[in-house]
Amino acid sequence: MNSLWQFKIRHVFSLTIICLSFVIVGVFLSMSNNLRFRARELSKNLMVVFYLHKDLTASERGLIEDEIRHSPLVDSVRAVGPEEASEKFIEDFPELKDILLNLNINPFPPSIEASLKDPGLPTEKILQFITEVKKNSGVEDVQFNREWAEKIRSLGRLTEAIGFFLGGILVLASFFIVSNVIKLNVLARKSEIEILRLVGATNTFIRIPFLLEGVILGVAGSCLSLLVVFFLIKLFPLYLGSSLGALQEIVGFRYLTQTQVLALIFGGGCVGFLGSLSSLARFLRM
Amino acid sequence: MIELYHVWKQYQKPLWALSDVNLSVTRGEFCFITGPSGSGKSTLLKAIYREVIPTEGQIIIGGINIQRIPDHKICAIRRQMGIVFQDFRLLFHKRVFDNVSIALRVLGAPPRDMKRKTFIALRMVNLQQRLWDYPSQLSYGEQQRVAIARAIVNNPRILLADEPTGNLDPDLAHEIFGLFRVINKQGTTVIICTHDKELIRRFGGRVLYLHEGKLHEKDVG
Repeated sequence: MNSLWQFKIRHVFSLTIICLSFVIVGVFLSMSNNLRFRARELSKNLMVVFYLHKDLTASERGLIEDEIRHSPLVDSVRAVGPEEASEKFIEDFPELKDILLNLNINPFPPSIEASLKDPGLPTEKILQFITEVKKNSGVEDVQFNREWAEKIRSLGRLTEAIGFFLGGILVLASFFIVSNVIKLNVLARKSEIEILRLVGATNTFIRIPFLLEGVILGVAGSCLSLLVVFFLIKLFPLYLGSSLGALQEIVGFRYLTQTQVLALIFGGGCVGFLGSLSSLARFLRM
Repeated sequence: MIELYHVWKQYQKPLWALSDVNLSVTRGEFCFITGPSGSGKSTLLKAIYREVIPTEGQIIIGGINIQRIPDHKICAIRRQMGIVFQDFRLLFHKRVFDNVSIALRVLGAPPRDMKRKTFIALRMVNLQQRLWDYPSQLSYGEQQRVAIARAIVNNPRILLADEPTGNLDPDLAHEIFGLFRVINKQGTTVIICTHDKELIRRFGGRVLYLHEGKLHEKDVG
């Protein structure tokens, strides 16, 4: 602890680098968490939306609706008219309301939303059902939200990978910084180490304070980064305001899980320990 | 206790700091090594606590050949020694107490024991009032006494002192030599390198003379 205070400038510097590295990992992990959460939500409400031709008669719509309802995969069916679709759009995206009103026509086709019985149904079976319904000339297009869920999930994985890649590079940089800071500390305390050796101190006895310094730096840096990530999550939506609209739900932050928090703290400790160890292995040969 | 067989040490060619030194010091012996500056006295002591490795020869301490044991095991040998360095080697950013207790700290002594033994050692060198001072606040002679206190604090089996009274006035030097005698009476083997022929004469004991790296037994009368 004495040494941490004695060489405070270099320690503050290394603490900042460790913190920044883990902030990058934390932010990307948080975004990934959010995307995965959205994907899970979508998968839970497994739904297929069949968009119909605008000029279909009520009886033709009824026939398609019956065909869908009688499928063994379908739990419930709901017909959505163009007006209702328009209202829902305005409700979800209020900032785009003017564009829709300026069109003077309602661009939304009538649709049938079919909720599926089992969220775990194999995709092939659902696609087969969609193909069957699509054969009907009244069906113009189909939207299947599992595809969206898959896409969002992939995006989540990609975000996580980018986070680990960028964070990994920075964590590696932190490792070298910790290693060099400990090297400087070893050099600064050369005379003390020399005396300790001559009065019979073991290698472990001499190394432990340096290793502890590394671990303290790493853990403190990662804890600080968690605090920064927490404030970023709180402040980011305030900074953006409502400009992102519904998109905010997708790109917004969700705080890290308990396991991730512990993993980041442990990671910080490991970076500090290994950085210190590598330095001692090179500069404190005994 | 301490045996040296045909020990040679060369730092730079063609000079030999130690030249075929053979020595046997028995347990509890009190001996002086004397000789002119540059004769190899410090090198001989450094070879005994393995700060320098002889170019040739064997050094056996307590039955262990210290040339043959791995580096990480030398700490066990050094724990049995108390060393007073010519240049004191004190830590100037630490207090007198920490400088002395460092020898006990490496042994893992309990804090209470550490305090007690450190206080006793400092009282033996008359520095018990300077416990919480920094070495920079002490005189040269007082710094030397701190170094002596550090060497004796763990009741070593071997005490090696390199010019331990070089900076002390004659009275204090006499007192310190008296202290070494007391420690020796308790069973510690003491080897002192010194120029001070007067003190050697006064305290007696075995005297070894080093000249150009060669060791001779000397009768000081």
